[in-house]
Amino acid sequence: MLKKPLLFAALVLLSPVHASAIEGEKTVFQSPGAEKSRLVINGVTDADAIKPLILDFQQLAPDVTVEFNDYVSNDLFREAERACSTGQNYGDLLISSSADQLVKLANDGCAIPHSSAETDALASWANWRNEVFGFVFEPAVIVYDASRVPQADVPRSHADIADLLRRKPEDYRNRIGTYNIQLSGVGYLLAFHDALQAPTIYGRLLESFSRAEVVTGCCNNEVLDQIASGRLRIAYNILGSYAYAAFLKNPNLRVVIPRDYALILPRAALIPVKSQQTDLARRFIDYLLSSRGKTVAREKAFFLSEDDPLPEGVEGPASLIESGIGRPIRIGPALLAAQDRATRERFIRNWTALFTALDP
Amino acid sequence: MALVINWCLMTKTRRSLFYRLVVRVALVLFVGAAVLITAAWFYAKAAADEAYDRLLQGAAIQILDGLSVEDGRIGINLPPAAFELLGQAPRDRIFYRVVLPDGLTLTGYDDLAPSVDLTPARSGPVFFSEDYRNVPLRIGIVGRAISEAAAGGWAYVLVGQTTEARKEFVTELTTRALVIVLIMSALALAGTALAIRYSLRPVNQLGDMLLRRDPQDLTPLSVAVPGELSPFVDSINHFMRRLDERVRLLQRFIADSAHQIRTPLTALSAQVSLIHEDALSDNDRRHLERVKDRAGELAHFTGQLLNHAMVIHRFDSAQLGPLDVTEIARKAFRAAVPITIDPDTVVSFEGPDETLIVLGDGLSLREAIVNIIDNSLRHGTRFKLDVRVLKRGNFALVEVEDDGPGIPPADWGQVTKRFVSSKSGSGSSGLGFAIASEVAIALRGGLSFREKTPEKGFTVVLELPLHAEMTS
Repeated sequence: MLKKPLLFAALVLLSPVHASAIEGEKTVFQSPGAEKSRLVINGVTDADAIKPLILDFQQLAPDVTVEFNDYVSNDLFREAERACSTGQNYGDLLISSSADQLVKLANDGCAIPHSSAETDALASWANWRNEVFGFVFEPAVIVYDASRVPQADVPRSHADIADLLRRKPEDYRNRIGTYNIQLSGVGYLLAFHDALQAPTIYGRLLESFSRAEVVTGCCNNEVLDQIASGRLRIAYNILGSYAYAAFLKNPNLRVVIPRDYALILPRAALIPVKSQQTDLARRFIDYLLSSRGKTVAREKAFFLSEDDPLPEGVEGPASLIESGIGRPIRIGPALLAAQDRATRERFIRNWTALFTALDP
Repeated sequence: MALVINWCLMTKTRRSLFYRLVVRVALVLFVGAAVLITAAWFYAKAAADEAYDRLLQGAAIQILDGLSVEDGRIGINLPPAAFELLGQAPRDRIFYRVVLPDGLTLTGYDDLAPSVDLTPARSGPVFFSEDYRNVPLRIGIVGRAISEAAAGGWAYVLVGQTTEARKEFVTELTTRALVIVLIMSALALAGTALAIRYSLRPVNQLGDMLLRRDPQDLTPLSVAVPGELSPFVDSINHFMRRLDERVRLLQRFIADSAHQIRTPLTALSAQVSLIHEDALSDNDRRHLERVKDRAGELAHFTGQLLNHAMVIHRFDSAQLGPLDVTEIARKAFRAAVPITIDPDTVVSFEGPDETLIVLGDGLSLREAIVNIIDNSLRHGTRFKLDVRVLKRGNFALVEVEDDGPGIPPADWGQVTKRFVSSKSGSGSSGLGFAIASEVAIALRGGLSFREKTPEKGFTVVLELPLHAEMTS
């Protein structure tokens, strides 16, 4: 059990940016009643975020102890792929915002299908082969520090950021944070879809980023911590749930949903082939997809969803989907393109080249 | 009769035409349906392959388009649209491999169909099926020549997809075809069954007609039947004609015999009457009386036989005409009641006020009534005989009532047959009722009996339909 955090620590040391110590941690939620079984979930989600869901699930299944291991998305994917090819067990359930990675795992035959009334009720774009299920959909948002960004500078679209960086390059040099797509699968997925959704604007944005010497982080919380600490002023492509959680902690951190378009990222779940507790995993998936699970997710865990009104304190359209601003990333074979080896390498190479070329 | 029995035996021992036809048609339909469904399956499979192979081809071409040469190296930007296209088969897994001109795999699944010969794809897309990772896969290959000095040559894209959607498509199409074919077959079978029933109806009608036919009636069948049945009807008619000839011959033989017998019989009676009775001993006289009685009986039967032959002959040849029943009955009454009747016997005749007209042959009808009265006088009447003609509904009734013991109901069916006598009654009724009954039936009437009651005596009723002109 100690191996993975160690492995992760080694990775963190090798990576160019410093990773938050929270991630890669194992959290055990002891069963409220006498323990009869143990569900191991390997996920790419802060344990704090998913905690309300697990605790509520345990109300329904009091004899289940849940072990939650939080990974960086790429590590989770690498481990899952390795476990699948060698026929080893790697958790009973995988949860990740990097839906493309789970789709790739499913395509390679690393998933167990699960079908129930809950999964049947899912939209076709939130369920692939009854193997990958999307259960929470949250927009990628912009977060800014209201105490350091004047109202006139607040970016409300992708183009706004590029313009702002052009107008005031000095003010925001080194003050913008975003994902390092090399380290973060979620970051890569978002960048890949940004490039698909609006190639021109994204090109401009990247160029501005590189000139403004954007700070990249492995994970949302790392970037958000740096805003909170005052080092960064604006963060781009932050997952709505983390952004809103940060806002709740520090009201200066304002959340803006871009008004040109907002990628909506599914959190997806998959049961790996060597799951030891498939029945429990199925129950947990059904719970996540049930109305009870959805309510808990919206109210306590992830705050934002694709079809509910935005909570207080978030700037954006009344309804993401109806306004046409929300662009859900569909769980389906198209995501395999993002996972193509050569395509990914090339995309990251181009991205890195742009950033490192101008890095001092 | 023999014909009817044979017919019955045939229907019992061999399967019906309907059954045989339905079984054969069902067999043909079943084989046809099986062939059609197999054809539908092949067709669906071909259609599925064609439809989904196009997806494979489209996706492979899109991937090929993603190839580009940068700095003398071939790179790729895999278009998600290619996979989106393959996502038309929503449940199928996708495997692909991009092969560079030097034979190396640029990206994708390195172990996808590694040994396949790619060169045929130069002239057009190639499709084949192969198992990959223990799953059946349909793989399409497209190739493109890359004209770049450093990296030139043929690049290929292999795109493989699992076959769930194809199978589903084939199953769905085949199932629909199956449903349609089954419905059509069921309709065809039902239609055939109805058609066979309809076509066989003349056979049943013919059978019914033969069954209903009066056993005496040996005239040819005059019924419209389908062409296929006319040989059958012809042979029945031929058979009946022959039978009829035989029966006529027999009747003529009987009539001739009776006639031949009558002459010696008359001579015999005359001879017997010439015997001097006084010269005989008592014993011999008693014997002579018996001889006389028997000779009289014989003369009576012979007469009846001749009458019977006459009646039958007349119905074969004489035309029926309107007759006044009362008139005929009165004549019969006069003829049947001998002048020498016991004076203690009260005989009466009672006619209706109106004239009752029936269609018939006067001589036969008179003979019938004479026979009934004669029978009553011989076997029934003690002191009283009433003959009445009356009208009931559309029928004219000739009733002959006597005060005798009558015929028990159990024997009623028997006595109208030839040479059958009532068991309880003395002697034989001979042909009397048989003649009356035959005449009644020939005139579409009937002969019936009414039991003795305290008020009324045993009655024989001859019932005849009134002539249509009269009833209207």
